[in-house]
Amino acid sequence: MTTDLNQFPQLDKTKFEQRGIQLEIGVPVTCAVSIGNYIAAGFGDGTIRIFSSGEKHKTLKAHKGVILCMAKDGDNILTGGDDGYFLKISLKGEINEITNFGSRWVDHVAAHNGNLVCSSGKVVYYWDKNKKEPKSLNHDSTIGGLAFDAKGRRLAVSRYGGVTVWKKDYSNKWKSTKLDWKGSHNKVSFSPDGKYLVTSMQENVLRCWRLKDKLDFAMSGYGSKVKSFAFIDDTSYLATSGAIDAICWPFDGEGPMGRTPICVPYVGNNQVTFIEPFPDEKAIFAGLSDGSVFLSQIEKENNTIIIRSFTGSEVSAIAMTDDKSSIFIGDMNGNTLWTSIWDQ
Amino acid sequence: MENKHQVPVTVLTGFLGAGKTTLLNRILTEQHGQKYAVIVNEFGEQGIDNDLVVDADEEVFEMNNGCICCTVRGDLIRILSGLMKRADKLDAIIVETTGLADPAPVAQTFFVDQDVANKTKLDAIVTVADAVHLSSQIEDHHEAEEQIAFGDVILLNKIDLVKDENIDVVTKRIRKINPFAKIIKTTKCGAPLKEILNLDAFSLKRILEVEPDFLESDHDHEHDDDVTSLSFVSDKPLDMEKFQNWFGKLLQTKGQDIMRTKGILDFKGENDRYVFQGVHMLMDASPMGKWPDDKERSSRLVFIGRNLETMNLKEGFEACKSE
Repeated sequence: MTTDLNQFPQLDKTKFEQRGIQLEIGVPVTCAVSIGNYIAAGFGDGTIRIFSSGEKHKTLKAHKGVILCMAKDGDNILTGGDDGYFLKISLKGEINEITNFGSRWVDHVAAHNGNLVCSSGKVVYYWDKNKKEPKSLNHDSTIGGLAFDAKGRRLAVSRYGGVTVWKKDYSNKWKSTKLDWKGSHNKVSFSPDGKYLVTSMQENVLRCWRLKDKLDFAMSGYGSKVKSFAFIDDTSYLATSGAIDAICWPFDGEGPMGRTPICVPYVGNNQVTFIEPFPDEKAIFAGLSDGSVFLSQIEKENNTIIIRSFTGSEVSAIAMTDDKSSIFIGDMNGNTLWTSIWDQ
Repeated sequence: MENKHQVPVTVLTGFLGAGKTTLLNRILTEQHGQKYAVIVNEFGEQGIDNDLVVDADEEVFEMNNGCICCTVRGDLIRILSGLMKRADKLDAIIVETTGLADPAPVAQTFFVDQDVANKTKLDAIVTVADAVHLSSQIEDHHEAEEQIAFGDVILLNKIDLVKDENIDVVTKRIRKINPFAKIIKTTKCGAPLKEILNLDAFSLKRILEVEPDFLESDHDHEHDDDVTSLSFVSDKPLDMEKFQNWFGKLLQTKGQDIMRTKGILDFKGENDRYVFQGVHMLMDASPMGKWPDDKERSSRLVFIGRNLETMNLKEGFEACKSE
């Protein structure tokens, strides 16, 4: 028996895909951040695309190579690239070079209240908003991630063997505390309430420190490396990628120790590769290795809707505008979706 | 679904002055119509400047997977992940290691990290050896010996500076350490790039095509810490359970001394050939189709490493033969 491929059942576009704008850029989407009601997305060819509702997206050539990292600094976008440049870019498209490290990559960037940081190799560079020259913070090994706490007082730097937490003392001198755990630590984040510090490791595990007493523990059981995680609804949950479910660890009350996580399931056997919070709700956007994206309420069973159907390429960026009206989705093959969330 | 194309990665090793930089310059400047990225170490010889050259710092860390010798190159995971995000697709990636570095953590990185393994594959370890100085370097430095032991291809360079009979002596010395490497004799690393890059030396299928020289290794050696090789052949089928028990335990307990293993196995009651290859404790094994009709079934096994004679390998292998 032969199959007529034209008669083959076709997957319908989701309503979000029907009303949104889908692009096939053909270059990996490496990062995306929200700036007010704009979304800036970075790509593997050094371009940035800025999306906003009611306007055509704007494309800027910012870096010569891959945009490795991106952060929001007020109304500006900060980017680091494999061309060694650390740039500040306005929503209008003005590009300002903060510094350039030549052949060394800018691996991570972060900002808080006008103070900027980036890392290149083993060194973190910190630009106080009132000073021109950066302060160098040195580490023994290459930096895996950077994060400020919610108030911008502490800067966590993950590396091999643990995390270094930097803080300015009363005389404005940098002091560091080390939180050690053997192995390579990548993405790092403070919990929004400032009580915990979490890293994802090279092994399929997360490490967490309770900062008041430095008690540390592991969150494990993942089938693959945890590349993406986010705190949800302030510090209610830590939602994580790395399994075929979105694994959501409870962080309210006494924290996750001795408690079981909520596993938000998806159809099929694809790994969750990207997690983005739905602001102020106990809800998450989860991007999967096949390119599909879902919105789920963590505490309600069977309350998952599909936003984007599969594209065949791992979801590598999701960002929602600050007014919660629209989202951007991107994957490793450069398929993007920009759509409003609410029915008119 | 996801494009499973994996970019081949060649690990280039060899002592300082052997000719690695000469080879890298050739790879970057010759008109070959291919796009190669080269990851160099910061202590390397200078003189290469190109957009596709990336500085690395050879940072090694231990995995927390209970395997004591499982060290991997963290910087490689970072750089390879970054290179995979590029707009232009690479035809191959070459990783230079410093003359004194142990190539094992580099090789292990490709077994251990899932993202690296999905998007890239270890193609071959290429060792550049200085025909003039190799013999003395092997005597004086563990690393020189190890680089020969790990190599899939050995470029015996600077042969124009050595008499023919001395080339034979050096070749024999290499063979004693590593019976399965392909030796290419060159001056100024002048071998065709197709004999160095994109060889697929780590694929199990390839092991069936390039059969190692199963010479009976001699057992004389002056130092106990010499790197040597031992090989075994059996025409009698092996018992799978016995073999798995013996071999698993062997790699677990002696994996630090066993640098590389390769083998083709004939198990009793199985129609397929089993092929495997390993670096230290990490191993890749799989059935590889039926035995060809025109070939006798037999099991062949090669070990390269230190202190092999203390591991009772012959007795262990003999005991795996089926009743």
